[in-house]
Order: sequence, then C-alpha cells, then structure tokens
Amino acid sequence: MRRVLDAMQTADPSISTLIDLAEQGDEVSAGKLFTQLYAELHRLAKRQLARQGEISISATTLIHETYLDMAEQEGQSFPDRGRFMAYAARVMRGLIIDHVRNRLAIKRGGAFELTSLTTDVGEVTSDDQELTRMSHALDELARVDSSLSQIVDLKFFCGFSFGEIANMKGLSERTVQRKWEKARIYLHRSLRADLPL
Amino acid sequence: MSTLTPNQWQEVSPYLDEVLEIVPEQRSAWLLSLAEKDARLASMVRELLDEQQQLKQEGFLERSPLPAGGARLVGQKVGAYTLVSQIGQGGMGSVWLAERSDGRFERQAAVKFVSIALTSRETEERFKREGSILGRLTHPHIAELLDAGIFADGIPYLILEYVDGVAIDKYCDQNKLDVDARSKLFLDVLSAVAEAHANLIVHRDIKPSNVLVRNDGQVKLLDFGIAKLIAHEADASSAPTVLTMEGGGALTPRFAAPEQVTGGTVTTATDVYALGVLLFFLLTGQHPAGENTHSPADLVKAIVEVEAPRASEIVSAASDSAEKRSTTREKLRRQLKGDLDTILGKALKKNPQERYASVTAFADDLRRYLNHEAISVRPDTFAYRTAKFLQRNRMVVAFTTIALALVIGSLSTGLLIANRERKIAERRFAQVRQLANKFIALDNDIRGLPGSTKVRMQMVSDSQQYLTSLGSDVHGDKDLALEVAYAYVRVAHAQGDPTSPNLGQFTEAEASLGKAENFVDSVLTVDPNNRRGLFIAATIAHDRMSLADEQNRREEMVSWAEKTSGRVDRFMKLGNIDPKDVYSMGYFETNAAYAYDNSRHFEEARRASQRALDIAQPVAYAHQLDGPILGALTIARWQTGDLDGALQTAQQAVKLHETQAASGHASLRINLADMLCIDGVILGKQDAEPSLVRSSDALTTFDRGLDIGEELAKMDPTDYLSRRTVAMIGLEIGNILRHNDPQKALAVYDHALARIREAKTNTSTQLYAADLLAGSSYPSRWVGRDKEARQRIEEAFQLLRDAHEFPSDKVEPMGRAYNVVRASADNYAETGQTDKAIVAYQELLDKLMAGKPDLQNDLRDTICISRTWTALANLLRRSGRTEEAERLEAQRTDLWNHWNGKLPNAQFLLRQSLSQIAPRTAVRDLAKR
Repeated sequence: MRRVLDAMQTADPSISTLIDLAEQGDEVSAGKLFTQLYAELHRLAKRQLARQGEISISATTLIHETYLDMAEQEGQSFPDRGRFMAYAARVMRGLIIDHVRNRLAIKRGGAFELTSLTTDVGEVTSDDQELTRMSHALDELARVDSSLSQIVDLKFFCGFSFGEIANMKGLSERTVQRKWEKARIYLHRSLRADLPL
Repeated sequence: MSTLTPNQWQEVSPYLDEVLEIVPEQRSAWLLSLAEKDARLASMVRELLDEQQQLKQEGFLERSPLPAGGARLVGQKVGAYTLVSQIGQGGMGSVWLAERSDGRFERQAAVKFVSIALTSRETEERFKREGSILGRLTHPHIAELLDAGIFADGIPYLILEYVDGVAIDKYCDQNKLDVDARSKLFLDVLSAVAEAHANLIVHRDIKPSNVLVRNDGQVKLLDFGIAKLIAHEADASSAPTVLTMEGGGALTPRFAAPEQVTGGTVTTATDVYALGVLLFFLLTGQHPAGENTHSPADLVKAIVEVEAPRASEIVSAASDSAEKRSTTREKLRRQLKGDLDTILGKALKKNPQERYASVTAFADDLRRYLNHEAISVRPDTFAYRTAKFLQRNRMVVAFTTIALALVIGSLSTGLLIANRERKIAERRFAQVRQLANKFIALDNDIRGLPGSTKVRMQMVSDSQQYLTSLGSDVHGDKDLALEVAYAYVRVAHAQGDPTSPNLGQFTEAEASLGKAENFVDSVLTVDPNNRRGLFIAATIAHDRMSLADEQNRREEMVSWAEKTSGRVDRFMKLGNIDPKDVYSMGYFETNAAYAYDNSRHFEEARRASQRALDIAQPVAYAHQLDGPILGALTIARWQTGDLDGALQTAQQAVKLHETQAASGHASLRINLADMLCIDGVILGKQDAEPSLVRSSDALTTFDRGLDIGEELAKMDPTDYLSRRTVAMIGLEIGNILRHNDPQKALAVYDHALARIREAKTNTSTQLYAADLLAGSSYPSRWVGRDKEARQRIEEAFQLLRDAHEFPSDKVEPMGRAYNVVRASADNYAETGQTDKAIVAYQELLDKLMAGKPDLQNDLRDTICISRTWTALANLLRRSGRTEEAERLEAQRTDLWNHWNGKLPNAQFLLRQSLSQIAPRTAVRDLAKR
C-alpha cells in the first residue's frame, strides 16, 4: 500500500498515461495533462527557436514538433497523433489566447512570437477578449459535442487542414467539413448573441 | 437571436447534419417538408442556415488569430528546398526564392504559393497529380516545374526553376531588337509551346510576364498549365479563372482569347491566339484590341467582336515603337505589311477553328517569312474540332483519332507539294512517331482513371493493327523500322509493364518486345552504331528483364540483366548523350542492379550499381536516380557483409528521399521505400514531416504496388505471387496507416488477409496471415473492438503453432513470432493488464536473447532489442518498478553509446526508427520489386 502511494507521488506520470486516464474521465489527470502539455509546448518552442536563432514559430509547426519530441521520448506506447492532438490542440488554444493577450507586453529574449503559416503579408489584429469569449463558448460546446470543439481547435488555432484533421480523427474529409460548419454556426450564434442589439 | 441552449442544440444538430449534406438548391424543398412535420424546428434550422450564410460572408474564423509568419517563412522548408527571400507577390500568391536544402546543387528555385486554400482531399490529390504531369515537361525554353505539393493550411505550392530574366517585351525594347530579331526570338517561344502541346498541356496564360528572357538571350516560359492547376473545380474552363487569377482586381484579360472571355472551351488554339497577341505586341508595340479600351467591359467587347487590325496599319499611329525596333516608322510599316500581317491575322482569328491548327504550323510560317519563302495561305482543311484538348475523360475516348488527326493537321499546312509519295511516307512516319509519343503521355495520364484498363486494351489493339500493316511497309527504311520498334515497346508497356498498371498480359508483352527486337536487330545489323537503335535495344533488354523478374523466370532475368548492361554500355560509348537519355540508361542499369540483388548475385549488383552511379553522376538531370541506385547498393553491400558501407549509403539515400519529386517511375520509389523500410527510417521520417503530403507519398508508392497486386490477383484466381504481393504490401500499408487512420488500416489488413487465404496453404501463407492478424490487432482495439483484437492475436498464435514457428525457445528479432508476441503484449498493456504485459515482454526478451542477437555488429538486431527494452521499461515504470526500469534504460543507453561511437550518425538513425520496422523476411521479398 505504501509503495503505491510513493509511486504516485514521485513518479512523473508520462503523457501517455495521463491521456489514457483523461480519456477515461479522470478530471485530475486531465488537469495535470493540460499543465504538462502547456509547459511542454512552451519549452519546446523556446528550444526550437534557440536552435534556429529565430524569435517566432508557427503554431502548426510547434504542435507537430511537440508531438514528435514526446513520442520519441516515450517510445512505442505513446498514443497516436489523433489522441494526442485532441488534448494538445486544446492546450494550444490556451497558449494562443494568452499569447495574444500578452503580445504587447512581450520582452525580447524572454518570450517567443507565435505565428500562423499563411503567406499573406497582411497583418491580422486579434481581439483577445473575443478570443476568450470564444474559448468559453468552445468549452461549452465541448460539453455537448466534443468533436466539434476539437475541430475548431485543430483548424482555427493550430492551423491544420481538413485533410490532416480527417486523417487524425479517422473521419472522412466531408464529415470534418460539415462539423466545421456546424461549429461555426454555434460559435457565431454564441458570440453575436452577447452583443447588445 | 439568442444563444442556443444545449437542449436546443441537441435537438437541432442531427437536422443540421442532414441539411448541410444537401446541395443549397434543394434545401428549401427539404425545409418545407420538415416544416410540415415540425414548424418550430424547421424555423430554427432555417434561422441557423441564414446565419451560416452571414458568417460565410463575414469570413468568420477563416483567418488564423495569429499574425502571418510571412517574413518568418525564411528558412522554412518546402519540398527539397529552403526559402531564402520573398521576391514578389504574384497574381496568385507570394513568390519566394529558394535553394536546395541539402546544398547538393547550386540550383535556385522559385517557390510560388497559391493563395487559395485547397479545401478538399480530392483537389489536393488532383493538384499533386497534375503537378506531376506538368513536371514531366522538359524543354530548354520551358522553366521546369520541379515540384508541386501542399504546404500547411492546405496551401498549394509550386517549385519552379528560377529564371533570372526580364519579360520578353522589355528585353526586346531594351536591346532595340528589330522585327527579324524579335521574330527569331519568338520562334523559341513557339517551340516551347509546341512541346507542351505535344504533351497535351495547354498554357492558358501566355503573356509577356510569363515569357522571360535571360541575359544570355535564352527564352524561358513560365507557368505552363498552372492556370488550370489552380482553377476552382467548379469553373474549370470558365472566364472567371482568367480574371480572378490576376489578383481578383479589376485587371484586364489583355491576352485572353475570345473563348476564354466568353466561357467557352480552352484548347491549344487558345494558346495560338495568345501567342498571336504577344507577337503582335512585340512587333508593333500595341495590343491588337487597341488603346481605346479603358474598362474591362470595353476590352472584352473588343476581344470578342472587333477583328484585329492589320499590324502594318497600327504602326502608323505609334510613336517611339519604330525606334525600339531599330528602324523608321515607314520601314517598319513596310516590313509588317504582307506576310507578317497575314500570319498575325491567322493567329488572331476570332473563331478558334480558323486559326493556325497548331503552334508548329504557326512557327513554320514564321520561319518561312524569315527565310523569305512563301508562307502557306491555305485555309485549314483539317477542322480544329478533331484536335481539341478537352476534359480528360473525353480525351481518353478519342485518343487514337486525336493523335492521328493532330499529326495530319500539323503536317498538312506545312508540306510543299513536291513529291506525293514522299509526302505520304513522311506522314505515316510522323504518325508513328506521334503515336509512340502519345503513348507515353497518355498512358500516364489515363493511369488513374476508372475504366482505364478497357481504354488501354482498346489502345493496344488499335495500335497493333496499325503497326502490323505499317511493319510490312518498312522495306529497309531504317528510321521507320526504329519507329515501329519503339511503338511495339510502348504497346508492350501497356500490355505488361510490371512497374505500372498493366493488363497483365505478360506473354503478349514478351511477344511484342520480341517483335520490337526483330525490327531493331534489322537496323543494327546494317548500322551497328545507330544511336536510336542502340537506345531502343537497351530499352527492350531492360523491359524483358523486368518481365522475367515478374514472372519469376530467374535465369532469364539474369541473362537479360547482362544484356541490358551490355547494351547500356554500347550506347554510352557513343558519347554526347542527351541528359534525358543518360537518365534512361542509368535507370536501366539501376534496375539491372536490383535484378542481380533479387537473384542474390550481390557482387554483380554492386558492380551494376557502381556503373549506374558512374552513368548518372555527371548529369544533373539524372540525379533523381541516386536514391534508387543507393538502394540497390545498400542491399548489395549489406548482404556481402559490408555493414558500414551499407549504412553509409542508407543515410545518403534517406536524404535523397525528400528530393524524389512526384515522378512517374513507381518502381524507383517502391524500391526506395522498400529499402528504407529496413531501418524504419522512412516511416520515422513520415512522422517527422510536417506536411501530410510527404507521408502520403510513401503510401502512394505502396498503393500502386498494391494496385498491381490486386489487378493480377483478380485476373488469376490461382495466382500465388499476386496474393503474396498484396499480403506483403498490405502489411506495410497497414503498419503505416494504423496510427493515423485505424479504420482504413483495418480494412487494408483484412483485405490482405482475405487475399492470402485464397492462396494454397503453406508455411509462407500461414506466417503472412499471422503477421497480418497481429498487425491488425492494434487498429482493431483503437476503433473499440477489444474482444476482436484479442481474438486476432489468438488466431495468430494458432497459425504460428501450425507453422511450427512458435512456441519455441528462441525468437528472431523482427520476425513473425516477434510481431505476434509483441502485439499480444501491447494489447495487454493497452487494456490495462500491465502485469500480464510485463510478463509477456520479459518472456519475449528472454527468447530474443536466447537467439544470441549480435548487439555489437548488427544494427537491426540492436534496434529491435532496444525498442523491446524501452517498451518493457515503460511498463515497469507504470507499475512502479522504477529500479528495474532504470536498469533497462541504462543498458539501452550503453548500447546507444556503443553505436554512436561505432558509426557517427547511428544515433540519428536509431532515434528515427520509432515506428514499425519491417520483418527481415518481408524486406528481402520487398526488394524483389
């Protein structure tokens, strides 16, 4: 009995374990998972950038690299991309929103810049308040239909294409597109409804 | 308008699903029928659909919340290149200068991003496929399309040869070229477009900015067929593509043909028109529609209705155009009057059918003008309707008539009626040549189309009839004999080229090749150094070798391999070989090397690989062979015990994998994929690639192999070879797919299982089945069929027992037994039965060690043990047995350190081999391909 307690306290549960547990509904593990992934994403971003001497990294690249890095470390039993991304994408959402909020306060040398992989040169101004409200709406949507919120995380925040998402989730691309449309309708409704008439 | 409550959403959600699947036009009908059943629900759905319209217009959530990494793209890898700097913002997206990532060649490229996110897998596939067709266009005056692919966010990219030049009109003006000089330069442009047309590619967007001229006077055409490549599926041939391509602004389609502007069909005649406008512009400095058109509407009207004025008359009004053409206004007018007026007039006819039937005809007349010969003023006798290049499926059906008609058409306007008989002979000669060439382009084009087998058969029987009659007409005409020989080679390809979808008529293919050989022999007896003859002879030897391989006629394969090498050698000795031919020879020699590998003549294989390298090395064009050559060399070195050498070439080959543009040579890529399966590197690399395109590349390779197997299997209910192929490749595909697409993987595995079970039971089939069952247990569980997963594993164990493979004291690393035990252990682990899993793994390890794996010298054994240790260590950690886990991990570290010292980059290789490694036996089989 004592041994088990020690193990739970001292052992750093692996990500794959946490995902397993979170999938089974363990909220505590889900929370731990979130924290760990957030830290991992951060750490990895910095490491990637340091390696290349850059100050910015795209969200898509970051989440890819994180998966690879973790999969490499944990080996064969590391969950497949689909299961990993379901959680990592949610974390990325948090990371991005925090990032947008703090962007103006970034000190050089400390933090990094998150970008998207688009090639247009036009600047995009994001409203972190709207993003926060969207995040709440997404969490609510997740309670009703988690696949929809996942797809928004994957597409809108992480920048994956429909094809990639279809692959990850084991769905047809048509289905992914349809879910995307539904999610958009839901979100649009949620966000606009709060506005004064 | 209020937020939807969860209940409301639950209610309306399935209806949304339904209505979103219906085409917009039919939605009102659907809504009405719903309203009859439940009015409240219907009104909710309607409201939401309206909202969808609105949010689409707003572009809600279309753009990422993050700023564009535009500038950050510097250093990004795209295909085999790295972005250096942005050089422009074209009409369709940004353009970047790039250089090769591996620094292998000095080559610079231009990477064009197309700012239309492709929204469906089908368009992505089509984009890649068409990109590969365009990539086959090679001509000194065409900027080569090096690669096409999909970048992140579904953004397509094109990698083109970088051309450092100016637009042709500027070049001519800067150098004050006169009319004749401009015309001569223009001939280069025409030859480029003619080549594209011969490959059934229409440019669609010829304009000065797409025709560059370098400092050295070399003309380069850009963006062939690209307009079509990025055209939205819905309006493939309609005007909007022309207009919107130009950045969506109010830009005018200055070089568009009437049919482009009115939404008619785009054909090669459209290019002829654009070329006419370009020449008009170059010669006169003015656009044929005149300068009075200020609005797009005016221009469109002018293009469609107003007949082009005479070039000579326009000049009278121009100001400094004469000066730019190093002449006076009067002289210029006189020069343009007459023949040039006529030529331009013909190119600019409103009715496509009245224009030059082909670019070649256009060029011929222009050349005649320059040589002061009489130009042809004959009206088109062969109506253009026979030479339309329509949507692909129609093209397929009309193949033969198109090919012949086109040839006839291009000859008719050119030939002087000097000698009637000569004319006929030339015509037939050209027909045969065109026919052979069309086979190349068309066979590849129709490969992926449904019903292509039937068409291919039609093609074959049409050609055979024709060739038989033609063959008897040869009468010592060397050139004709060679053309017929080559045509037979192409027919043989369609009948039975093992490296591409074929009819499986191997005997017939062999017969066709035999006929081809006869014709070539007849020429070479008389003229032993006939260049074309030697080329065709080498081709025949190579093809017969492949056939022998496919039919498992080992001895004949080896003897044809010898002949292939011999003929390649004779050809190369002729010297002055065209780069394309160097590539072919290298390709033949490489396959000879593989043939030797497959028949275990490893010394010969090594030598053949070396010869292939020697051939391909000096020629940049042939560098894409390096990968496959290294593949053959790796296997040969490996098997002759030169592990160090094998690893070295393996690493080199891995680097080159990225540079394999989507070429049409499936066999090369299958071989490379096979070889690299050995270390799992390529699979590891798949996970490492950010773009999905790359990983699907490897799958496409296997898919093709699977197709071949399938076709063969269907054709012959008793054929073992095809079934074994399906099983083998199915195993590979399943192993790759199962991580990302477990459903599909399961289907692949099951299908392969079904196939192998059709074959007669023997040890080999049992083992394959066991492997497949074990592999399929993973996705089975991942899609939730837990019980079934365990059943599959039990069945696999049973098969192992039947085959007397397991239980046993020893287990071979990466062998069948290994895979099954592993699957069982993993299954326990994933279903939470950690203790059982640990026991299973420990047992596995014991038995592995009992076989005394060579951890000091055998890399594959090492990788296997290492991975088994890792898996066990993870399990031990999970159940709190940290000390034991740490011990295993320490052992693993020691092992890695040993290898790191042994081979400097071994750690890199080891770290890459995360995913499945193909069983040793399967690898040898794979190498056969």
